[in-house]
Amino acid sequence: MSEPIGLTVLTGFLGSGKTTLLRRYLDARPGRVGVVVNEYGEIGLDHVFFVHAAEHLELMAEGCLCCARRTDIAAALHRLIRHARGTGAGGIDSAVIETSGIADPAPIIATISQDPWLRNNVRLRAVVAVLDAVNALDTLARAPEAVRQVAMADVVVVSKSDMRAAADPARLAAAIRAQAPDVPILDAQDPGFDIAAAIEGRANVAARVVAPPAGDAAGAGHGTQSFVLRLDRAIDWPVFTVWLSALLHRHGDRILRVKGIVTVASTGKPLVIHGVQHVMYPPVHLEPEDARDQPRGLVFITAGIGQAEIEASLHRFLDAAGRVPLPGVAAS
Amino acid sequence: MCEVCAIFGAGEHWSDFGRARNETFPFGDIRFYRQERARRLALLGRLLAPLGVTVEDWDGEAAMVCDRQGRSRLAPTLADVWDEAERLSGARIDPLDPAFTAGLAHV
Repeated sequence: MSEPIGLTVLTGFLGSGKTTLLRRYLDARPGRVGVVVNEYGEIGLDHVFFVHAAEHLELMAEGCLCCARRTDIAAALHRLIRHARGTGAGGIDSAVIETSGIADPAPIIATISQDPWLRNNVRLRAVVAVLDAVNALDTLARAPEAVRQVAMADVVVVSKSDMRAAADPARLAAAIRAQAPDVPILDAQDPGFDIAAAIEGRANVAARVVAPPAGDAAGAGHGTQSFVLRLDRAIDWPVFTVWLSALLHRHGDRILRVKGIVTVASTGKPLVIHGVQHVMYPPVHLEPEDARDQPRGLVFITAGIGQAEIEASLHRFLDAAGRVPLPGVAAS
Repeated sequence: MCEVCAIFGAGEHWSDFGRARNETFPFGDIRFYRQERARRLALLGRLLAPLGVTVEDWDGEAAMVCDRQGRSRLAPTLADVWDEAERLSGARIDPLDPAFTAGLAHV
């Protein structure tokens, strides 16, 4: 069976510079990238395989928005992957979905994770959010869509930082970190900016557990907040996953993102976990030396649910489960 | 499950990746997966017992969620267990509620 094709969700508010960034990526990897677009823009390049997806959400019965199925994305990706397989070696090996400016990335991620064929043929590499340095502070203050895009991003790329009206980089970084404390921030105008690494998620290989800014900055705007749950002790993975899956089942619509590193008791090794709303990505396994200096814990970005509730729930559960005799071993 | 040799594999849900897989020699992974799975099913059984719901292994890959009336529903992954348990019991499962761990209190 062929290897899954790497897929990036490129998101960003209206006018943020998504298309310019995409064009740079297409130039860097000519003939190797298939693109799904919601809006036909000025990008129309002849040598690029485009699939147009008229934005369409299919809400599941009793479902929340984050688990809505983007039928347009599913159909477009099926078409793109079939075409890519036909191009053979040296053909298309990368895919990008350029979302509309106000699109929520969560239904796209849910669509991929819920489709068995797509799960086998597509590997979601990263959600990349583009913010333009001129308007970002204003956009983050007034547009909840932009806040969600940043909160769910694996990488934030700042565009237009070379313009005279660009915001002070430190203020901009603080505004971004207030929403997503651990997200890598890349400047598209930086001479060392590697467009392929940014789009293909290679700029985010190491997960980090970074404390959110103190005080009001943590969670500024639109009711979102971020916090870190330290997990210094090794966790019993089956026990932990029962708790986390229950938490996402009940409150996934209010947990914009959870990401972090935990040590698994049965192996003694670090594990990177990463989820967006109800959807968890496959965990990434690290060797102990790869994460020696990294604190263990989870970064939560939430809307309307606080640190104290989640922390109390986790410790209550781990303590209660730790007193119950269970088959198998918790630690090697 | 491997469609050719009918050997149960290791699950593909995110919760099934407690350790890195060895794609070349998967048998250790399968044994590890079964141990972790047995541990998880036992814990789920204890947690959901106060709701009148049982959770059992089904074919080494899924979970069968049953109620006292004998109704049963198949949960292919851990994430599905909560939906099916709520459907059968009519209860609302919330880990933020201290009552969530009630089933773990009595050994």
